[in-house]
Amino acid sequence: MSTAGPILSVRDLRTYFFAEEGLVKAVDGASFDVHGGRTLGIVGESGCGKSVTARSILRIVERPGRIVSGEIRLRHGEGGGADDLARLDPRGPEMRRIRGGEIGLVFQEPMSSFSPVHTVGNQIVETIRLHLGLDAGAARARAIEMLRRVGIPRPERRIDEYAFQLSGGLRQRAMIATALCCGPRILIADEPTTALDVTTQAQILALLRELQDREGMAIVLITHNLGVVAELCDEVAVMYLGRVVERGPVDAIFHAPQHPYTRALLRSIPSVHAPVRTKLPAIAGSLPHPQRRPAGCPFHPRCGEAIRGTCERHEPELLPVRGAEQSASCFLHHPVPPGPAVPPGPAVPPGPAASGAPVAAP
Amino acid sequence: MTAATSPLLEVRDLRKEFPIRQGLLRRRVGEVKAVDGVSFHIDRGETLALVGESGCGKTTTARCILRAIAPTAGQILFRRADGTAVDVAALPAKRMRPLRREMQMVFQDPFSSLNPRKTLLDIVGEPLLVNGVGTRAERTERVAELLRLVGLRPEYMRRFPHAFSGGQRQRIGIARALALNPSLVVADEPVSALDVSVQAQILNLLVDLQAELGLTYLFVAHDLSVVKHVSDRVAVMYVGRIVELAPTERLFTAPAHPYTEALLAAVPKPDPRLRAGRMVLEGEVADPAHPPPGCAFHPRCAYAIDRCRSEAPRLEPRAGGHLVSCHRARELELRGIGVPAAPPLGSPPAPLAPPRPATR
Repeated sequence: MSTAGPILSVRDLRTYFFAEEGLVKAVDGASFDVHGGRTLGIVGESGCGKSVTARSILRIVERPGRIVSGEIRLRHGEGGGADDLARLDPRGPEMRRIRGGEIGLVFQEPMSSFSPVHTVGNQIVETIRLHLGLDAGAARARAIEMLRRVGIPRPERRIDEYAFQLSGGLRQRAMIATALCCGPRILIADEPTTALDVTTQAQILALLRELQDREGMAIVLITHNLGVVAELCDEVAVMYLGRVVERGPVDAIFHAPQHPYTRALLRSIPSVHAPVRTKLPAIAGSLPHPQRRPAGCPFHPRCGEAIRGTCERHEPELLPVRGAEQSASCFLHHPVPPGPAVPPGPAVPPGPAASGAPVAAP
Repeated sequence: MTAATSPLLEVRDLRKEFPIRQGLLRRRVGEVKAVDGVSFHIDRGETLALVGESGCGKTTTARCILRAIAPTAGQILFRRADGTAVDVAALPAKRMRPLRREMQMVFQDPFSSLNPRKTLLDIVGEPLLVNGVGTRAERTERVAELLRLVGLRPEYMRRFPHAFSGGQRQRIGIARALALNPSLVVADEPVSALDVSVQAQILNLLVDLQAELGLTYLFVAHDLSVVKHVSDRVAVMYVGRIVELAPTERLFTAPAHPYTEALLAAVPKPDPRLRAGRMVLEGEVADPAHPPPGCAFHPRCAYAIDRCRSEAPRLEPRAGGHLVSCHRARELELRGIGVPAAPPLGSPPAPLAPPRPATR
């Protein structure tokens, strides 16, 4: 399905928040590719920068955050060049054409994403008229067709309802219809099923898969749920504290993970296949406060395989492991770069959030 | 958990209706049967999980047991530490207070369930203070002990909740629940607001504390994979009723209710090789204000027959402590989770490159 090359390439993206309390490097060197017709999963825990990455691509990062460096190259259609979204004016005409036109977005909470005082139909029609320049009648017809395609029953009636009149599952379907109404090449879905019940979640995942088969768009799925990643994604990027620490094809990530964080994460997820009442191998400690990022490899304080003298002093790079398809940023796989070690970082004050909780009885 | 020990908690035909009011005079036009005849028991030292999707009545059931809300009908028999049994449902609110020392709750959201303006000492010590336990020094000592118990350093007791991460806050919530040595702990989605890597720590802590203190848990959750790790038995609820109740292993491998089968199928499995052949449940959870006639699940059930549309099934026992409420339970062969993927996840072959020794 994927023709030559990725349609979206993110390279060394850095998005920082210049807050009064201090600098937060929400995204600190993220690189990945999105291929046409395929699904990339960006997975990580809270604060890993996955949502800020999505917002950076669409240029909707809120102040005091901004992109400080890196490239977001969106390739034009057949044979064309590429735009670097990181260089465009977030309020300019190109970005407004791309946002909602070429790249659609689905948020986690469909209730707060729809305006409560406009009907769902109004909001879809507005998007269609803005991007496709259709007249009111044609736009409405297209909106009804989109609602039908995402499996909303009786769309010609539902189109005139408000978001609060729809159930959670239908609301999320309407959100997906809005994101897809202009035929985008990329759909970014930020935790699209997190607020939903499991049976509804399964419906939405099946819908996304079916829509991708039919419409051929690429999907960037942002989630903390590894089960959802395994269900839907072709490629996976695992993020930790603003960086992609491992990326590769979904089967390799789940069956041959190379970064200690990926492995630990996979071991620590509860599974319906586990024997009854078994303890989980937990990852020690907790996520560091965003302003107290450890020096060197960000995972080293919680890593069971950290190499003393190396991991806390040098920053690993995301480099290929096991062939060209899979990459990991870890000194277990790559030599330490020559040159000076990073300064040992700001002395971390012994606070509860920084030191990590002593894990309950070993 | 021998048959000889009487259960710590026995719930019989519990009902909770919320009125639907309409119009200027707020006249009662109907009611939502949030809990519609729920019965179960929990043995001492056991964990019973109550699972289901939002609106199924699992949280309402838990809140009735703690008398955070008054049930409409039914009995909630709780065996007190002194051996006497009381019906929590019939007790006047005033007489609940001594009982609350014996039943405590752990909440879902560790961010909103801790007062940001109080220190850990105040938060964890509050139940002691309210119940007039010990002197100030004794209470401080007890708080230190509790913090150690849940894996936090006692030195932190003068700090405020904002200094702690989500997982640490949940530990504080657990310490508070344990302050008065309760026998029953009701945990309502205790890990669903936590990050994956922290979720495991809290689940392990709950299991450890149960062994150490002989606690009995009512574990309310929507995530079946979490439930598998902590419960002895599982009750599945749908639109206010228990549709199936069974020992955990049995429920997962040999479900007898079509809804349980669908729930198990819907859980995303963290293994891309298990993708094929999933079954997706159509439709949505029925509105408890207007439940369908007959079996509430019939509009979504792939196996429904005419009888299901008119006659509500009763929860009936099968072999092995398994209860199921389905007309066709005897004839259906339902799919459980099946065999697990061969190697456990996250335990890959050794890294291809040998670990490098430190540079110096």
